[in-house]
Amino acid sequence: MILINCPYCGERDQSEFSNGGEAHVARPENSDSLNDKDWGQYVFYRDNPKGIFYERWVHSHGCRKWFNAVRNTATDEILKIYKVDEKTPKIDSFTNTLKTPSGEPKVGSGNFTVKK
Amino acid sequence: MSALDNKKSSYIKKNKKVSFTFDGKKYYGYKGDTIASALLRNNVRLIARSFKYHRPRGIYTCGIEEPNAIVQILNEHNEPNARATVKQIYEGMKVDSQNRWPSLNLDIGSINNLLSPMFSAGFYYKTFMGPKGFWKKIYEPIIRRTAGLGKPPKEFRSKSIHQNHNVDIVIVGAGLSGLIAARKLIDTEYDVLLLEQDSFLGGVLKNSNKVEQINNQEVNKWIKETERLIKISTNIKILKNSLVTSYNFTNHLIALEDKFAGKAIDTSKSELTLHKIRTTHTILANGHIERFISFRNNDLPGVMLASSFEKYIHRYGVIPETNPVIFTNNSTTVTLLKSLVDLGHKPVAYVDARDKNKIGKKLLTYLKKNNIPFYFNAEIEGCDGNKKVETISIRKNKNKIIKVKSSMLCVSGGINPDIHLFTQSKGLVKWDDKLITFKPDVPFQNTITIGSVSGNYNYEKTHDEINNKLSFLKPKNIEMKIKINDTNNFNIKELWETRHEKKSNWSKSFIDLHNDVTTKDLKQAVVEGFDRIEHLKRFTTNSMGTDQGKISSINSLGIVSKILKKEISEVGTTTYRPPYAPLSFSAIAGRNTYEFYDPQRKTPIHNWHINNKAIFEDVGQWKRPWYFKEHDSETMHQAVQRESKQTRQTAGILDGSTLGKIEIKGKDALEFMNLMYTNPFTKMKPMTSRYALMLGEDGMIKDDGIVCKFNDKHFIATTTSGGAPKVLADMEEYLQTEWPHLQVYVNSITEQFTTFNISGPKSRDIMSKVFTEVDFSNENFPFMTFKVFNYKGTEARIMRASFTGELGYEIYITPNHGLELWKRIFHHGNVFDLVPYGTETMHLLRAEKGYVVIGQETDGTVTPIDLNFNWMIGKKKKDFIGKRSLTRSDTAREDRKQLVGIVPLDKSEFIEEGQHVVERERLPNPIKTPVEYLGHVSSSYHSPNLNHCIAMAMIKGGNKLMGKKLFISSSYGTKNIAVEVVSPVFIDPENKRLTS
Repeated sequence: MILINCPYCGERDQSEFSNGGEAHVARPENSDSLNDKDWGQYVFYRDNPKGIFYERWVHSHGCRKWFNAVRNTATDEILKIYKVDEKTPKIDSFTNTLKTPSGEPKVGSGNFTVKK
Repeated sequence: MSALDNKKSSYIKKNKKVSFTFDGKKYYGYKGDTIASALLRNNVRLIARSFKYHRPRGIYTCGIEEPNAIVQILNEHNEPNARATVKQIYEGMKVDSQNRWPSLNLDIGSINNLLSPMFSAGFYYKTFMGPKGFWKKIYEPIIRRTAGLGKPPKEFRSKSIHQNHNVDIVIVGAGLSGLIAARKLIDTEYDVLLLEQDSFLGGVLKNSNKVEQINNQEVNKWIKETERLIKISTNIKILKNSLVTSYNFTNHLIALEDKFAGKAIDTSKSELTLHKIRTTHTILANGHIERFISFRNNDLPGVMLASSFEKYIHRYGVIPETNPVIFTNNSTTVTLLKSLVDLGHKPVAYVDARDKNKIGKKLLTYLKKNNIPFYFNAEIEGCDGNKKVETISIRKNKNKIIKVKSSMLCVSGGINPDIHLFTQSKGLVKWDDKLITFKPDVPFQNTITIGSVSGNYNYEKTHDEINNKLSFLKPKNIEMKIKINDTNNFNIKELWETRHEKKSNWSKSFIDLHNDVTTKDLKQAVVEGFDRIEHLKRFTTNSMGTDQGKISSINSLGIVSKILKKEISEVGTTTYRPPYAPLSFSAIAGRNTYEFYDPQRKTPIHNWHINNKAIFEDVGQWKRPWYFKEHDSETMHQAVQRESKQTRQTAGILDGSTLGKIEIKGKDALEFMNLMYTNPFTKMKPMTSRYALMLGEDGMIKDDGIVCKFNDKHFIATTTSGGAPKVLADMEEYLQTEWPHLQVYVNSITEQFTTFNISGPKSRDIMSKVFTEVDFSNENFPFMTFKVFNYKGTEARIMRASFTGELGYEIYITPNHGLELWKRIFHHGNVFDLVPYGTETMHLLRAEKGYVVIGQETDGTVTPIDLNFNWMIGKKKKDFIGKRSLTRSDTAREDRKQLVGIVPLDKSEFIEEGQHVVERERLPNPIKTPVEYLGHVSSSYHSPNLNHCIAMAMIKGGNKLMGKKLFISSSYGTKNIAVEVVSPVFIDPENKRLTS
């Protein structure tokens, strides 16, 4: 369970929030002029990277406000939280400070070590 | 030959006698005793039967790591799997042994031990493969009865509460290092939480005499003084009896506090507190756990870990055996030896696997001086006896075995830093060749390990280590002089299993006592190809017991690495998973149980429904009347048929208060509604209403309802009873994220209005009597319009709408007047034969009319076009949610499943909901190849008004199949029911009843 710093209420437990998937996927203005593929891209396709990810959250059991977060999906570290109308932080402003816990430790998971 | 009291216990109160029963027999212990220490005091050695082979087992350890002595507490609602080595006794406690029948001494299941060739590694997977059906009926019930632990508690109880903490520093463990760290943080700027699993502070200081003095004080005095200083400090809180079970992301720890340690439970109070702790820094000072060594019959009652034996002497004041044999491969057992000698006893033999030069002159001289038989470079070959240790075989050198007699054998195979929590926090561990164990390496979170958990076994240097590691916190400088009992040079010889002679089928060398895994099983698993530690663990079930192999998992790595001829660091460890020790479901559940877990929502009319014999149905969290029994013997079918018939003949009324209601207000409300719903609202006249659909962006129907338009800036929309929260959330989401420029406010008013749906030919008459000031004539109150009027000082709304196909009105009124108005309607309605009806009749009536129910006809894959709802789509609107998806190649297909009506050709037959629509009259038996099917039956009822079955179905290309003969499968046999595809509107297709 991670802590999330709601920009309106402050730090709260993750259980008060709902995740809204990838952020900055704009709803197309002129959907009529889009072909099936491009429209399908908007409706059905979302990124799911290992590492830095821009995503949406809503404080559903709190102020019910939506906001954006930059999270390292490999470590669950939240790098930045910003309001919907705030500027999108640039990706190169984030450095991976933590190594992934699930990624290839020398010792810690038998599977990885025996694979060598 | 028997147990003796040690007068100098650090903990037990010898003046307070406590009686308890074990397997029905009464025993006495002292206040503070665990079940184990009290039983040892009474010379009870046989405590349990093992998991698989039902071998006799005794007390192996003195703490949370216990694999054997697991018992059932009868007077705590039959609480199973309590560790006898942790659970404290209290007056009148009733304890039973587990996994034995008929008794602990004579256990029929122990025949498994003789059949053991059958039960080797992976036997579940190999043995019970066939014949078909045997697993469920024969194997599983037998295995469940004979293998396993205790019996489940009698009932689920709410017995815990949850508590949250937000602190700067958590210290896990209040032993030597934890106490030093806490003392250094007294009156600093940090909020500190000190967690101790025992009911007293001190840890190793109380469990042994390894540390003699601190600051020239006796250790007990130092502990007392430290506790006092912490207690009077303003920034440190101590939680005793609190075991940290999980260490999660973002320094989130879970600790379970036992509020009734050593006391009988009081069912009116919560027994457990689950502490959810957020911290900035975590200091792990949770110490170490001793490990064992595998030898022949290393599970016999009487074999015990050496440090646990020591713990019983010092902490509980009981010497389990005055003349045991001590078997070690390391230097930690010296203090046990000295403790015994100091008390005037001496071991039968001191067996050390190390070389003479490693043992050191000091100890050798001590052994000689005290005339203790000792053997270096020697091993225990095994032990024998009837349900207890009697004879112990010492391998003096390669082929020479000598036998000695004793009832107890103390074993030490080395000590492991308790890295469980550290690895849970995702810290990495590394192998230490000198300590022959894993110790913490790189932490993943803000975690600091101090004391023996960090691999520092040198008590003298603990303070230096803490000074060093906590310096960034700028703690207080305190003076620490630690005087220890023996040399600090920990040394150990690698030894996992001793060489043993094959004696009989009964002889076994165990690696996992809890799950009955032998070292032979490990070898066999590797031979069979399970050479990776994670696979091997699952195949053999090694370290998968509730103790998670706390005393043995490193040993198994050692043995496997030898078989694979690899370094242990290459073999790696298996994953340590929370919880650290088992915790009950009720601890996790906290207060979220029964009605608090799933609250019930009731309408203001609820009690009236109960008084009128309503049978309720759950709709989301709502309790809704399903049907009303006219008399006690009336069946559901009879009641529904009666309610449905009467509503169409006279009038019926439904409590629709559960319907979701959302108010939409603001400058841009019209534009917003046009975007959210498929329907066009621009040309809609004020004070009219419309049936409306809401789609997802994928074009699939999400919800429906009736939208009332007051004016362009004010709407009220209803939603399905279950869909209200989601619809409101979706509206909020789009307003905040996609169209923040729209000035619109949305608000749930579901519970602000009680709703009744009255319908039937007599409903106008009844309404005119109830609301005399309202003109209900068709000209002045046409279909799909609404009126707002003052009802007893509050604003009420009546809408002419219908979900039955009959003339109908929906009344929205403040809940305070709900019940009174409901009664008033009946007061006037009784002469018109007004009948209350429930949700089942509502469904039947709407099906007769061909109205769909979201979630019944639709399942998230149905578009409005599939339901022939083209008329509801505002095609001229530039945009609405899901609009573009309605012309996607897939949604525009003509062979999609479409809504049709279905009636059986033989009117006496009944179609079942959920059955398949097929073209074949008969299905093959058995069905070997897939049968092509056209769709499924979504709703089916016996219509009392048509007197035959009517059904709705979603079938491929249904619109083109009107009038066609098809078949519906049945659960009664292979013969299908012949049906005709018809329009789904069975009653009043011209809407005469609705609009007149």
